[in-house]
Amino acid sequence: MDVAIKALAAALAIGITALATALAQRAIGSAGVGAISEKPELIGSVIILIAIPETLVILGFAVAAIILLG
Amino acid sequence: MILEMDRVQIWGMKKYLEKVIPILHNFGKMQLDDIRNVPDAMVQPFSLTEEMQSEREEVDILIASINGLIELFSTLVKTEAQAPLTKDDDILGIKGKVADVTAQVQYLNNRKKTIQDELISLSKYNEMLNVIAPVMPQSSKKSGNASIRALVHTSQMRAMNMLAQQLKLMTRGKFEMISVRVGESTNAIIGIFPLEMISQVESFMKNEKVTQLILPEEYAYLSTDEAVQHIGKKVELDHQELDEIDARLERIAAQWLPRLRTWQLVCKDRVDEFEAYSKLGETEYTFTIFGWVPAENVEELRGIFASNFNKNVTVNVIDIPKELRETIPVATQNPDMVEPFENFVKMRAVPKYSDVDPGTLVAFFMPLFFGMMVGDVGYGIIMLVISLLVGKKVKAGLICDFLKALKWGALWSILFGVLYGEYFGTLGEVVGLKPIWFSRSDSANFTTLLIMALAVGVGHIVLGLLIGVWNSIVQKSRNHFLERGGTLVALAGLFLLGFSLIQKLPDGYYISGWIILAVGLVAMGVSMGGTGIIMGPIEFVGVIGNILSYLRIAALGLASVFLAKVANDMAGMVGSAIAGVVIALLIHSLNLVMGMLSPTIQSLRLQYVEFFRKFYEGGQSSFSPFKKRINVVFTPSNFKEMSKE
Repeated sequence: MDVAIKALAAALAIGITALATALAQRAIGSAGVGAISEKPELIGSVIILIAIPETLVILGFAVAAIILLG
Repeated sequence: MILEMDRVQIWGMKKYLEKVIPILHNFGKMQLDDIRNVPDAMVQPFSLTEEMQSEREEVDILIASINGLIELFSTLVKTEAQAPLTKDDDILGIKGKVADVTAQVQYLNNRKKTIQDELISLSKYNEMLNVIAPVMPQSSKKSGNASIRALVHTSQMRAMNMLAQQLKLMTRGKFEMISVRVGESTNAIIGIFPLEMISQVESFMKNEKVTQLILPEEYAYLSTDEAVQHIGKKVELDHQELDEIDARLERIAAQWLPRLRTWQLVCKDRVDEFEAYSKLGETEYTFTIFGWVPAENVEELRGIFASNFNKNVTVNVIDIPKELRETIPVATQNPDMVEPFENFVKMRAVPKYSDVDPGTLVAFFMPLFFGMMVGDVGYGIIMLVISLLVGKKVKAGLICDFLKALKWGALWSILFGVLYGEYFGTLGEVVGLKPIWFSRSDSANFTTLLIMALAVGVGHIVLGLLIGVWNSIVQKSRNHFLERGGTLVALAGLFLLGFSLIQKLPDGYYISGWIILAVGLVAMGVSMGGTGIIMGPIEFVGVIGNILSYLRIAALGLASVFLAKVANDMAGMVGSAIAGVVIALLIHSLNLVMGMLSPTIQSLRLQYVEFFRKFYEGGQSSFSPFKKRINVVFTPSNFKEMSKE
């Protein structure tokens, strides 16, 4: 039972943060592509902006790892 | 490496100016400052002479003509070729040749337009006559009879029938009318009557405002059948001529497009020279040029001017005023392999003149992280082959930089693949290949993988902070020194604390860990002024977050290896060997494409967000020298001979 709850908790930790990342990237990505079409030199900044929300899912991954290993 | 820049002033008599500008243009290593933006210049901006202005206008018009021709020819032939520069390719020669080509193209286009218009009207006549011809009564072919043709809207047909009755009365019953529907709302009317009554019938039709279908003069006196035949022949000839014109235009395009591209650059070079003139300063008899030259090229420039002008034009290195320090153009010089990574750095921002150039560091770390994430010998080899093959075709741009970076990333992938024992995921295990370090697909090694990723993160962040501390010393920035140095100290305290907590260090380090952490946080807080007491710890938590961000190296690696494992396992589960191979190939291909894109972006992000923020400011302008866009027509050494001629 404990193992199942741990697995569920880890799945939720990574799943919910992945959804949050996806929602943030959806908004940033579409705005970013629009910005690049106007000013191609912004590509570096846009990559940063798109990649920033990924920290959420990485932290979710870290929490999931702690749950599974703890 | 960021090149050292010298601020240079060139001064001389005005009569030499027309030779100075082309020589500087050929030298190609000096960025010219606009005299209006030079704070210590005491001369007025140079005014272009009327002759120069009119030549400039001519060149602008010439560029517009060349652009138009290039645009047209690019639709006719697919070639990226550019012709080599010849002796005759001066502005005057180009102007004459462009005028010739334009005249030829204009003639052919006009002729084409005329034929196309003719074809449109002939097709209309043909359409009508083809409808009319089958219903033409035999009486129309009888000698002594004449016919009229008219197009009438269906709503006018009633009135037309009444007119026909009147015409019958006029011709004493000899007028015969046939109507045929030729469109949704159009009817063709054919009237047959005795030839001697033609003038009466025509004037009657005119009075009643009925528009006759009048064929072009050459077909007007032909019978309907003959007219159809002649028009068909004419259409065929017109199409032949159109094909000939198209072929001729294609030949002209193939012949001139590469040369037009060269001429376009020659003209743009000339415009650049006019722009250069407008950046200079002048007095009644002298001129002054301010600009930037890489320090290593100053002697070369002095030598060129000494050999061409003796002492009549001087090149001086002058002090850089304080207000210009932030505007020194930045030129970098790195080995070829660093070049694509340098472009990635510039995508973020051009380095500051006082920055450490991160190009070389990115060239090392970006492919390394890529390799750590992909970590598969099979995928690495395929990526290497793709980067080498496609790289031969793509010579410039972002894709070219990506392919060059991919090549190095693929080599690291192969190396880490050997360390992880991964050959298309778990296929290596089948043939007995073992990992040298640890297998990522084994859950027992999960902790090792996480520790590896975090250790890489710590190393990378600490390196960034060390460079940041060095930068702050060079730039004499106390706040940056305290912030970056404080972060380093706080990190050291945190590690001492952590290791003593997990019993990897003796207990004595626990207290010293707290003290060092506190000292670091205080230093960070001091650097941030009044809000430092809150912002310092928040910033430090951000740095911890940065280190945790390197866990993506482990996360992406796990995703890649397990997808490859799924591909291999599914292939084994399917009954048919062929179906199994197809499924495995599909999933491996998907993994490969994802493996090329995602790790590139993630490793680039680790440079931009985590690494650069510790030391890199950027934001200065790139060195943009006044140089030729195309191979020089003459060099400074032969310029003397040419000017003598």
